[in-house]
Amino acid sequence: MLFTSLDFAVFLVVVLALFYLLPKPARKYLLLAASLYFYMAWIPRYVAILLLLITIDYLAALWIESREGARRHAALVVSLCANLGMLGWFKYANFLRETWLGLVSPGAHFEPLAIILPLGISFHTFQSMSYVIDVSRKKQPAIRSYVDYALFVSFFPQLVAGPIVRAEEFFADYFHWRPPTAEEWQRGCATILTGYIKKLVCADQFSLVADHYFANPSALPGIIPAWTGAIAFGLQIFFDFSGYTDIAIGVALLLGFHFPENFRRPYLSASVTEFWRRWHMTLSSWLRDYVYISLGGNRKGAWRTRANLILTMLLGGLWHGASWNFVIWGGYHGVLLSIERLVWGREKRTGLMRIPLAVLTFLLVTIGWVFFRAKTLTAAVYVIGQMFAGQGAGRSLLTPWQWRLAILTLLIALAEEYWQWLTRLAQSSVWVRTAAAVIALLVIELFTATDQSIPFVYFQF
Amino acid sequence: MSGLSGAARGAIWTLLALAAFFATDSLLFRSGWYDAYLEPDSSAGSLESELHWLKVTPKARVPEVLVVGDSRVAEGFPAALADSTVERRLHFWNFGVAGTTPRVWYYALRAADPTRRRFAAIVIAMDNYSDADSFGLSEDRISDENYLVMRLGLGDCIDFASSINSMTLRHRALFGCLFRGVLLRNDVQAFLAHPEKRIPHAADWWKNGLAYISGYGGKPESLRALTVDWRNRAIRFPAGVDDAIRDQVKRFVLPESVPNTGALARYRQRWLGGILDLYKNSPTRLIFLQLPRAPLVDPEARPVTRPTTGFIDSAARRPRTEVLPGGTFMDLERPEYFADGLHLNRDGRPIFTVRLAQRVDSILGFQAGKSGAAR
Repeated sequence: MLFTSLDFAVFLVVVLALFYLLPKPARKYLLLAASLYFYMAWIPRYVAILLLLITIDYLAALWIESREGARRHAALVVSLCANLGMLGWFKYANFLRETWLGLVSPGAHFEPLAIILPLGISFHTFQSMSYVIDVSRKKQPAIRSYVDYALFVSFFPQLVAGPIVRAEEFFADYFHWRPPTAEEWQRGCATILTGYIKKLVCADQFSLVADHYFANPSALPGIIPAWTGAIAFGLQIFFDFSGYTDIAIGVALLLGFHFPENFRRPYLSASVTEFWRRWHMTLSSWLRDYVYISLGGNRKGAWRTRANLILTMLLGGLWHGASWNFVIWGGYHGVLLSIERLVWGREKRTGLMRIPLAVLTFLLVTIGWVFFRAKTLTAAVYVIGQMFAGQGAGRSLLTPWQWRLAILTLLIALAEEYWQWLTRLAQSSVWVRTAAAVIALLVIELFTATDQSIPFVYFQF
Repeated sequence: MSGLSGAARGAIWTLLALAAFFATDSLLFRSGWYDAYLEPDSSAGSLESELHWLKVTPKARVPEVLVVGDSRVAEGFPAALADSTVERRLHFWNFGVAGTTPRVWYYALRAADPTRRRFAAIVIAMDNYSDADSFGLSEDRISDENYLVMRLGLGDCIDFASSINSMTLRHRALFGCLFRGVLLRNDVQAFLAHPEKRIPHAADWWKNGLAYISGYGGKPESLRALTVDWRNRAIRFPAGVDDAIRDQVKRFVLPESVPNTGALARYRQRWLGGILDLYKNSPTRLIFLQLPRAPLVDPEARPVTRPTTGFIDSAARRPRTEVLPGGTFMDLERPEYFADGLHLNRDGRPIFTVRLAQRVDSILGFQAGKSGAAR
């Protein structure tokens, strides 16, 4: 059930109405049933995998909390193996088999297994693992109620593509639930509308260019087509993914839950380090807390710190998808982070110096997107080759309207970054907010890029 | 989880914001303000300009006849020639709009003739009298709504959407009917991209378009020398026919047979039958005709006989309704009269027009000794 579908709109209205009409004790059952229904709208039988992992992690956490020593760790290992095993089978089995076949008999024909990736498995396994690890680290008490825990993992706004919500954050709202204030409700609606504008007006607009280019890059040789194709994808994925999480955050807010911010104008970053503090923030912090720090973080010397950074980003790349392109993308960012740390340390970039650095960061990130988007490693290498030594200049794939849209969104981002324009708008009078909502709806109505339903990019992860 | 005041107030605000949005959409697209800026070549623009000319042109002193159809009528029926053929005893209107279907004609006629008394006759040009299903069935043609966007009132939304079979398309149709901006999105975007071009272009078309159309002489192309081997289903094209025209000719000359589900019969009963119902208590005569079907027609596969069952037969039994014989224009089903697989060319259209004008003149009783419909 896509957030952009009419089905979801009807689903949401029904869930909201029932949620606020039902007595308090029944609401969690409603949300759990709605979440499972939402998940089953895709491939119903895969709900069994979700429930199996929920059950294993629920029991593992109770076991861990009630014991000390090795047996405590055994339950943690069982839980991690279950989550990583399920993720590994569904997401990486074909990749590993193909890689192995390539090593033992190069050139042999590879026949992939017919495995369909369960929706959102990368997200809910990470969410579950963080919970069990936090319980084992005694940072989070084990949840006694199965329904409570199942709702934490399966809560429909974040189930499919995040944000990755920690147990601590979710249960703080859950156990001390209060209805949203009118202002919070309006903020939730505004966030949802922002998400829809990002997805339908911006992401889908840039996807027209990116999909066209990356379908067959060699058909559009030249430096400018390669750069504009890559920039189009960079804009598409930002607006697509941040749009999705905005809708998720807004929907959660309407239900009285406060999800963490996931994107904070990442393309205004003046370094790759800053970029990762602003891009997919819940994944970045997850990788930091559960991978980077577990590897020793920056506590074991400069070279080990750099190695930890690169390894963490390699794993982050692999989390996105099972192909060498994602590994290279992650490794590329790991290397950039290490170089930055080597050259600049933790020096902050302020003032006008930020402008050229932000442009440089954007271009570096754009180069990385080529590996993320290209279908094959060969295609990625071809596009990178065209970007730096293309067959002639070529013409921009972005139309004047798309350039204007890109510049307009940059100006809005700058206005928010330095003057908190949108935040101030949210704090203005109810009439101004109503007018803003009407304008936002008109923008969605009149400037949606295409009548075709384009799935969210992160659904494939 | 108690205390709903914040959420309740928020929900009320949401409803008010949605109502304000609907009001704004209506103000923009239901007030008539945007009509003048519609792209004349768009679906909505082409239908709206026809309706505009009908509305603003003073009623003729002689009985008026409206000829309704798709591009075959738009291309093939010069109204001025029809007028002169009957020595201006009648005034003909060409109400053919490219790409329209009986569903569009129903709503368009409702708007064109709100009293149901303006016209002495309404001629409805059908592609074929047979109700057997064929390719390109119109039930799920969501694009019909693009023509009708300015014509579908709120009261029509359920009726229009329910006439579409596919549930997904039905939802889209309902949504588009409620929020017109959704359907006018491309038009608005093109307008905002170049308002300096659109405003004078639209104004000129609304003012002078009818004169431009009247001066149109028809397509000069001809399919003369087109031949068909019916046994082997092979077409030989004359030189200079491009691939698009070849594909179109193939579709109409050698149509693929499709299973007959009765869908076309139901569709006609609903929409052409709806037109009959519109004029149930009106003095207006309704005249149905079968257009020249293709540049060449397999006489064995598609004989010209009026079905004794189905829509056209039931229509013929209604009062003040005439059905021209299927063979009325059969002699025009020749390659030299066609510009492509569908449309009459500069040579075919005068023959079609003169004959149609004479038949209508005769049916309306203006030509002594030739009254009554030929059946």
